Amino acid sequence: MTAGIGFPLFLVFAWCAIGVFFGFFVSERRIPALLAWTGSLASGAALWAAVASLIGNGEFHRDLWTVRSIGTVTISLDHISAFFLLLAALVVLASSIFSASYLRRYVGHYSLCAFNCWYQILLASIVWILIEDDVLGFLVAWELMSISSYLLVNFEHRREGTKQAGYLMLATGEAGFLAVSVALLFLASRVGSLEFSGFRGSSVEIGRMAHWSVFLLTFFGFSVKAGLAPVNSWLPRAHPAAPANVSAILSGTILNLGIYGIVRVNLNLVPVRTAAEGSILLIIGAISALLGILYATTESDLKALLAHSSIENIGIVTLGLGAGIIFTAYGRPVLAGMAFIAAFYHMMNHSLYKSLLFLGAGAIDECAGTRDLDRLGGLIRVMPYTASVFLVGALAISGLPPFNGFVSEWLTLQTLLRSAELPSTVMRLVFVLCGAALALTAALAVTCFVKAFAMGFLGTSRSKKRPAKDASRAEVVPMALLGALCLLLGVLPTYVVPMLNRTLALIIDREATAALVPPFFSGSPAHGELPAAFVADFHNLGAQVGQFLPGRGLVLLHRGGTENPVVFAMSPSYACVALGVFLVLIWIVVRRTTARRTAVRRELWAGGIPRLLPEMTYTATGFSNPVRVVFQAIFRPGSMGDTRQTVAVHFRTAIHRQRRNIYPADSLFFYPLGDAVIWLARQFAGMHHGRLNAYVGYSLGFLLIVLILFRVS
Amino acid sequence: MTIAPPSHSPLDLEGLITLLNERFGTGISLLKEAPGLVVRVLDQAVLRAVSRFLFWEADGFFGGLIVEERFGEWTLQYLFLLRHIGWVDVVVRSPFAQKAIPSIVAEVHAADWYEREAEDLFGIDFEGHPRLGDFILHDETWQEHIAPMRKEFDAAVRNFEREPNQKWRPTLVVEDPGSFAMPVGPVYEGGLGEPIHFLLETVGEDVIREVPRLFYKYRAVEKIAEGKAVSDVLLLAERFSATSAFAHSLAFCQAIENAVQVEIPARASRLRVVLAELERLRHHAGAIEGICQSTALSVSEAHAAIIEEQLLRASAAFTGHRYLFGLNTLGGLQRDVEESGCRDLLRAIDDADSQLRILEDRLHYTSSFLDRLEDVGAISLENARDLDLVGPVGRASGVARDLRKACPYASYSEYSFDVPSEKEGDGYARLRVLFAEARESARLIQQAIASLEPGEISIPLDAPVSTVAFGWAEAPIGAALHGLRLDSQGRIERYRILTPSFRNWLGFHLAAEDFAFQDFPIILATFGLSATECDR
Amino acid sequence: MSFWFWNGLKRGIQSTRYPRLPETTPGVTPGRPMATTFASAEEAAHAASGCPVGAITAAGREALIDLRTCIHCQRCRFGGSPPVEWVNDFEWTQLARTQTSFEPLNRSFQRSLHIMVVDAGDCGACLREIKQLNNPLYNIHRLGLFFTPTPRTADVLLVVGPVTENMRGPLEKTYHAMPQPKKVVAVGTCAITGGVFGRTFASAGGAGMVLPVDLEVPGDPPPPLAILHGLLVLTGRKSLQLSQTAAAS
Repeated sequence: MTAGIGFPLFLVFAWCAIGVFFGFFVSERRIPALLAWTGSLASGAALWAAVASLIGNGEFHRDLWTVRSIGTVTISLDHISAFFLLLAALVVLASSIFSASYLRRYVGHYSLCAFNCWYQILLASIVWILIEDDVLGFLVAWELMSISSYLLVNFEHRREGTKQAGYLMLATGEAGFLAVSVALLFLASRVGSLEFSGFRGSSVEIGRMAHWSVFLLTFFGFSVKAGLAPVNSWLPRAHPAAPANVSAILSGTILNLGIYGIVRVNLNLVPVRTAAEGSILLIIGAISALLGILYATTESDLKALLAHSSIENIGIVTLGLGAGIIFTAYGRPVLAGMAFIAAFYHMMNHSLYKSLLFLGAGAIDECAGTRDLDRLGGLIRVMPYTASVFLVGALAISGLPPFNGFVSEWLTLQTLLRSAELPSTVMRLVFVLCGAALALTAALAVTCFVKAFAMGFLGTSRSKKRPAKDASRAEVVPMALLGALCLLLGVLPTYVVPMLNRTLALIIDREATAALVPPFFSGSPAHGELPAAFVADFHNLGAQVGQFLPGRGLVLLHRGGTENPVVFAMSPSYACVALGVFLVLIWIVVRRTTARRTAVRRELWAGGIPRLLPEMTYTATGFSNPVRVVFQAIFRPGSMGDTRQTVAVHFRTAIHRQRRNIYPADSLFFYPLGDAVIWLARQFAGMHHGRLNAYVGYSLGFLLIVLILFRVS
Repeated sequence: MTIAPPSHSPLDLEGLITLLNERFGTGISLLKEAPGLVVRVLDQAVLRAVSRFLFWEADGFFGGLIVEERFGEWTLQYLFLLRHIGWVDVVVRSPFAQKAIPSIVAEVHAADWYEREAEDLFGIDFEGHPRLGDFILHDETWQEHIAPMRKEFDAAVRNFEREPNQKWRPTLVVEDPGSFAMPVGPVYEGGLGEPIHFLLETVGEDVIREVPRLFYKYRAVEKIAEGKAVSDVLLLAERFSATSAFAHSLAFCQAIENAVQVEIPARASRLRVVLAELERLRHHAGAIEGICQSTALSVSEAHAAIIEEQLLRASAAFTGHRYLFGLNTLGGLQRDVEESGCRDLLRAIDDADSQLRILEDRLHYTSSFLDRLEDVGAISLENARDLDLVGPVGRASGVARDLRKACPYASYSEYSFDVPSEKEGDGYARLRVLFAEARESARLIQQAIASLEPGEISIPLDAPVSTVAFGWAEAPIGAALHGLRLDSQGRIERYRILTPSFRNWLGFHLAAEDFAFQDFPIILATFGLSATECDR
Repeated sequence: MSFWFWNGLKRGIQSTRYPRLPETTPGVTPGRPMATTFASAEEAAHAASGCPVGAITAAGREALIDLRTCIHCQRCRFGGSPPVEWVNDFEWTQLARTQTSFEPLNRSFQRSLHIMVVDAGDCGACLREIKQLNNPLYNIHRLGLFFTPTPRTADVLLVVGPVTENMRGPLEKTYHAMPQPKKVVAVGTCAITGGVFGRTFASAGGAGMVLPVDLEVPGDPPPPLAILHGLLVLTGRKSLQLSQTAAAS
């Protein structure tokens, strides 16, 4: 099996190298095609490797070469890596195809040769991170990924604000990288090995304090990349600056890499086993989810909106991971398995629909000339295909059946409800609060994406420029591909859950599939998790239903514990069928009853004014203003100040209203930190007076301190 | 601009003349003329200073602007009403050739719409006015160069060149990328609201500013009156605004009666008080009904509606017309009333008065109703004085002006009554003023009917010739002024109606700024303004 | 705290019994001038000349009244001598002059008629009288008549006012926004002939100049019951009382 994985992995890097190489020789106009082809082939190869690894049982492991005095560079592809690789490959594939048409807008404005180069390096480094199995290689690949993604975000460097956004991204990313490096190198020094395989099982040896420090440092470092609160302010700034295809990769893959880091280090290498650590993940996840969706709802730049929504979704994933850790800590392995499955399911869903939405945002930007929802509108008439795939993405992210977002959010919420079985009252309270936050998040997500879709595609346009045409086929096809996957994952969760369970065997102690997808209508009724009588009843029912309904039950089930034996079950697949039948029925009834009527189209009734002007249609800001008003006191998503220009008291010539987003993390933490650093630098500036003797004195003093420290330790 | 402190000793006419002469010297010439003083502005450079002096320092009430086209030049007459002195007319003459006349808006904000109106209808340019054009003649319907009030414009000709301007769009002032304009009207509430187009500039729930677009009902009353006989124009005066038909016909008749300086019979003069107050009572009942409706308090709305309808029926039974049309005539009233009619009316008034008291009491103890009115659409005393708001709206903000007291007409000076006023200036204050005024009106009717003595109801009166006539009355909504110029055949040469609604609509946007969307109908209802009276 | 609901109930039913029983309360209608036979032709001519809007025409000893132009100035009643007779009724609705026959709306509208009003420049009286229809004394809901906020659901358009130039566009837009079948009723003298405002550069001189009017409810203003009668005629629940010729005479 291992040979079957090594070859496609080699192909990935080969195609990337070919892409970079030829990028220097073909003309700028040809580069989009080149990038699309090599990128698609490379991600196709990655897909091959991931699928091969997921289907096969063996773990791919290979030592590449040994560097003297440092160690062996090894690569390996276990199921977790393969799962992340699968998602990355899918997103990059879609994004690469999309680029074929999308990148043409830059010809003659920015250097596409450079773009191609960074893009291929980013793709290669992502794959490298996922397969790397030792600390040094991992850190190098991580840094390579950070820098190439920074360069890609910074691509439109002549546009206002791009440089600041890119710089912020780089700076916070590097801060996270430092924390991760310190933690991993510290671990390596303790364990005496740079290879990940050496880390496994070390958590007992290193002691509690060290374990906690490693956890906090790596969680901080990786959550910067994942975009968790409070270190998320780079994300909503970087996305609007980045080209759409890069945004899709950023949101669909690179955020996942942050999660990958947390999973790899904190769940796999040095597993965290205490409820305290789990609740940090849980609470941070809940806060990220709620803050993310609040900002998303009040945002009017479509890409910034999607970026905030990414924070929300990654928050939900982290929340699931935290719940899993807590359940593990309290000895509820099945529940923990459910939580991890829910988290990974949600991460997969997020990758798919978020990259779909980002590509859609790119298509809108390209055709309408703006991403500002306050100025968009009525695009469904000129962009019907883009509108329909965007609608699929919006429905999926809002958590509406029959799409995938529904399944994973349902699973996450249900798992949180099972916290009633936990023995600790405090922990139950934390779960209740986080569950409430998640429920509010889910509700606000609907508001947010109703706004995103309605303000973009419905109504009339508020901007001067009228879009002339729909997005090209190369743009719609990858979006449709992602949309189809969203539907598939939403309709067939009973096939996805076992797959996820198998994938997560490394971090799940007990099988959770049986609790989630019981083999009711077929298979054995003997079942450990459920009471026999209940299963027998269901089986009898299934025996009858199974005669005309297919499959492995197609029912997702959540059964309470002994104290709360309520069964929650749902079947997206049957629901989807029923929905289809109902829609057809309604259509038939409507057609029958209105067949003899003739409809007359008249002008829109507007109270008798000559015509409705674009300025008279609802804006995105107006739509979300109630949310802003309601949450103003708690979260301050934006602050407003009016300035009025008047000729006299009775005559206003202009009322300017300024609104700027204030991120609580920034205003509470980063701005004071920055001020403190500047203050500190001012204090030290006094030392630089140019006297040689003093400088020699400084050096001497420093040497002394180091010697003392060395002696003490 | 601050309000000048009231002068220590009240200014009298002689004192004013001395002061004006001191201040402006050769820039003006003064002429004592009933009912006050005429200030001829010889040097237009002092116009603004004179207006500022009369409005702010002498604490005058700005009555309005009357523009006339005579002998190839514009005559602009700015009316001020000064306490203890009476009407002071500031007259400016300007040849057609002069490009622009200095605008006094910077000094007297209340003059804003009057100058816009003159610019729109006459084509006079005002120098220093912040916004002109697109006012009465909507730019999407009328061409800019049409000036219907010019003498050469024939009102009967309909087939003039007209090219509706499709490109017209409103001026929006809120500069917020997320703001939008929510259009309401001109046909709204199923057409039961008067045609006004409101453009609410909003960012969602909060409305930042609102601009009313009026004059949908512009019927050119002032233009079509020209060349008509006085008795025909009387019909126009009472029919252009039915909610205060009697007040306007009264002001019109009194203008003629003032001009020929006749004393009308005491019975007619007292009956006029009865009818004017009956109209006020009925109007206020209707306005209260509107306020109750705006807060969706249905039982109170029905209560007020019954009071209004009963008063309408009482009016018809008393005079033969539900809206008191066809009663005023030059020199008195057209018909007399019988003793039994008076008794019936008194009974109806007593009934309406007691029902209104019951309603007020109930509303006063309904906290959900008060919550929606209090602090809604508040106008400060400074702003109310700045724009010289009149009627119940002004009085609710503390501008306690009332022509019935300030320059009494008919037989108001015979009776005792109060001019209620409040300080808060919010919706609830306006409602309280309406109730209090309704009570005062009932009291006045009782006093006036008690004082009726048998006698003549009118004296024969022929229309005067080649003269100027000026009359006033306190209409239910506020001060109504009618100015007339009659030609040598006794026909109307120029007819000018200065209405309270026109003045108060100018101040409406002060109340409609930074409010929640659901408060808009309440602000509108508590103002209780009439579009038809404003539009003419 | 006021017990609004209880207070409302306590007052009992105040609504008129019209159209089941005649309504004769004083003041519900101002009345109208009716054709009068004078002692001599001179007197009739004198009465005709006294009318400021020419609503009275003398035909021999008889003075004929055109309600379409009468503005209720009452000059023929009190100003001139001898007076023209007035009658206190209110069932004045008549066929529009441009129509030759009238077909009421079909049965389905009889107890569900949705009314849209457009104020096209009236003095406020006609609009006020239409509003009075909603008050408890007339309460047209009991007859299945409703005011509707949008022309999209309206069956009948009541036009008041002489149709000003600024309101002509909105009026036409409202009419076109209404679904078929639709009827137009001109309410008040101004909406019929322009009234005192006539036909000038700013006023079209009646709704008939702009829209196909079906029924006319004369009066300045017509009292609520006259408007109610018009609406009942429209649904076929009342018949036209004054024939075209009688109204003109």
